[in-house]
Amino acid sequence: MKRILSPLNRLEGDLTVEIDIDGGVVRDARVSGVMYRGFERIMRNRYPEDALVYTPRICGICSVSHSVAASRALEAICEEINISSDGMIARNIVHAVETVMSHVTQFYLYLVPDMLSDTFSLNGFKDLIAERMGYGGSSFKKIFAERKRFLEILGIVAGKWPHTLAIHPSGVTKSLNLSDVIRIKGVLESFVDVLEETLYGVELAKLVEISNEDQLLDYAESMDSDLSIFIKFCRKADILDLGKGPGNFICGGAFYDGDNYLFRPGVVLNGSVKDFDPFKVKESIENSFFNATKEVETPFDDFSEPFPYKKGAYSWVKAPRYSGHVVEVGPLARLVISERSLFKDLFTKYGSTVYTRVMARIFEAAYILLALRKWLDKLSFGNNYFGDYKLKSKGTGVGITEAARGLLMHWLCVENGVIKNYQVISPTTWNCSPRDDMDNPGALEMALMGVPAEDGDLSYVNLVIRSFDPCLVCSVH
Amino acid sequence: MKNLFYVHGLGCCGDSISMFNAEEPDFFKALDIAGINVLWHPSLSNIQDNALKELVSDIIRGEREVFIFAVEGAVPLGFDGEGSAYEFCGYNFVDLVRKIASVSRYVVAIGTCAAFGGIPASKGNPTSSTGLQYRGDVFGGALGKDFVSKGGLPVVNVPGCPAHPDWIVETFVMLAGEKLKAEDLDYANRPLLFYNSLAHHGCPRNEFYEFKSSAEQFGQMGCLFEFLGCRGTQCESDCNVRLWLGRTGSCPRGGFPCISCTSQVFPTFGTRFFKTEMVGNIPRFLPRDVPKAWYIGISSLAKMATPERLKVNSVSPYPVYPLRKVKR
Repeated sequence: MKRILSPLNRLEGDLTVEIDIDGGVVRDARVSGVMYRGFERIMRNRYPEDALVYTPRICGICSVSHSVAASRALEAICEEINISSDGMIARNIVHAVETVMSHVTQFYLYLVPDMLSDTFSLNGFKDLIAERMGYGGSSFKKIFAERKRFLEILGIVAGKWPHTLAIHPSGVTKSLNLSDVIRIKGVLESFVDVLEETLYGVELAKLVEISNEDQLLDYAESMDSDLSIFIKFCRKADILDLGKGPGNFICGGAFYDGDNYLFRPGVVLNGSVKDFDPFKVKESIENSFFNATKEVETPFDDFSEPFPYKKGAYSWVKAPRYSGHVVEVGPLARLVISERSLFKDLFTKYGSTVYTRVMARIFEAAYILLALRKWLDKLSFGNNYFGDYKLKSKGTGVGITEAARGLLMHWLCVENGVIKNYQVISPTTWNCSPRDDMDNPGALEMALMGVPAEDGDLSYVNLVIRSFDPCLVCSVH
Repeated sequence: MKNLFYVHGLGCCGDSISMFNAEEPDFFKALDIAGINVLWHPSLSNIQDNALKELVSDIIRGEREVFIFAVEGAVPLGFDGEGSAYEFCGYNFVDLVRKIASVSRYVVAIGTCAAFGGIPASKGNPTSSTGLQYRGDVFGGALGKDFVSKGGLPVVNVPGCPAHPDWIVETFVMLAGEKLKAEDLDYANRPLLFYNSLAHHGCPRNEFYEFKSSAEQFGQMGCLFEFLGCRGTQCESDCNVRLWLGRTGSCPRGGFPCISCTSQVFPTFGTRFFKTEMVGNIPRFLPRDVPKAWYIGISSLAKMATPERLKVNSVSPYPVYPLRKVKR
């Protein structure tokens, strides 16, 4: 039985999922992005710096990561650049707040409602979840009340959000003073208090000591927190293996503080960790509504044109592959590549599943919040947080960073002082890609195959989709 | 309860995100105050798939009343004039918008894309996108010049990229209470309450502006108008009085120029960002309502009168004069 799910709610943008159900199980899945805006065409012939205005507006939920990627792409084509180290830290602070907020919001607003399906009533356990974590529940209320205060950090450092223009090559446009930083610390600690009270149940520093699944289960048994409820939910509902992705990962490296990455770049292919080489990325348009105009060696010379009437195509999302491999990106990819021991353990046991993906999102928020504290103490005062830079009139550069949802790349090609080509490869382009030229399904398509769907019950399918935290507005730029 | 039906067209969801950032009242409180029931919003509702399609057809048949129909994102008329660039609930988006608008009491365009076309409709416009009732500064758009909703108003435009949370929730509260009349809208059908001032008002750099002491690069304290492309003196909004995110920020407070994102022609101004375009040594776009000759006269006088304190501080990231030795 074929079933087309459209439109789907509680995700960013528009996603259509077509599934083939046979014997109560999803046998095949096709995932489509159903909207086209044409950012890459709009960007052509504009001044390179205009990318700082346009590209964040690809996405309202992860606009800062586009600012960071665009800045990095511009930094890669500088004739001269004088980087402000304080500016880089301030950039991380803005990017971190956006990422943490995205993770927390996604969990409560987008994922939890799927746990509240009648399929998972689990002898009344569902009611407990609803009372605490559901819309208007006790944790939900506390977190959303505090969320608006947490945003003040973005107001102080970045003026406004979404769509700040504070992030530029070489640094940020505002030089912070001590008064700003003291206020930021106050706001940060209030937010941490609320998360410790609701989501984590323990202090962040204690939480991140959990380094394997046994310790995790001890924590889940002994602590009263939304995280422990989620862990129990996965066990009671028997979904630890649900929604298995390809198990290949990329992380482009995130939160570089001048010395180190908080999450280092790398690739996991068939179980082994390798260095990440951006030039091994290629986008297939076999099943996407695009026609090639010339041979594409790298995304720099991808000038493919939209063609909505293409036979056989089913998505506005292209299909990026790494050396031909289907890859998943996101918090789990970052934590496995950065060899966080808890996630090495979970990944070895379960692979990439609903359980491990969501766990990674929740734990990553804690890792980032702890880093935020450190960055605030590293800031110095008295220097300009904007360095300075001068662009070349011709050149190519790749801007790489990690958005909340995973690897984000901006491929910039400049000629005669204007943009000749601009290609954006966003996280959901990887996760929600259609089939490629070898007919390999994308990561979400793969994860949906084998998922139970008896009598048209889509509860499991919904959980798998939301576990990827899809952001279609990014992928159909 | 008055039903709100909220859809996304060609946009980034940024206005919804901004709306959820509302503080006083916050989004959920604002709904209580206004007596609004969210019939559907893509991030808030549990209705999806076939259930949503049924809801949509109930609305179109007049079986479910929509009091406020809010659209975020531009409306594509492409490809080939059919609007197939975006399909929603089995309709080309433009057809769905026309149908629901015709049965709704009020229609609101949230954000610059929905109001005027914004980025998807900017130069190049590969999807032939438009705003609901304007394409840039040309009246008409997807719904046409003659469109008036059942409540007697044209499309109420709440532009901004994103729109300030207050602008959105307060517009909902005003509409739900039947408090917004045609005379409360400006030339672009924006509520005067928010757009009848300039972003320049309340800018902390105003003293630098008055004396034409300008920042030469980012991160410095001076005025951003002369060199760094600030349009605060031309942009109609109350950003610098109202402030953003817990009343902590605004564009110039964040150190970057206003890019006039509430404007009908945003982002296609025919010039670049971050650099003030000059004709001779006069900026091509002058502060609103200031005649060129007066601008030249006043600014050269102001330059002669600039206090040393402003000259020094304008090119410094922190106030250095007169307490600290000048550091460049």
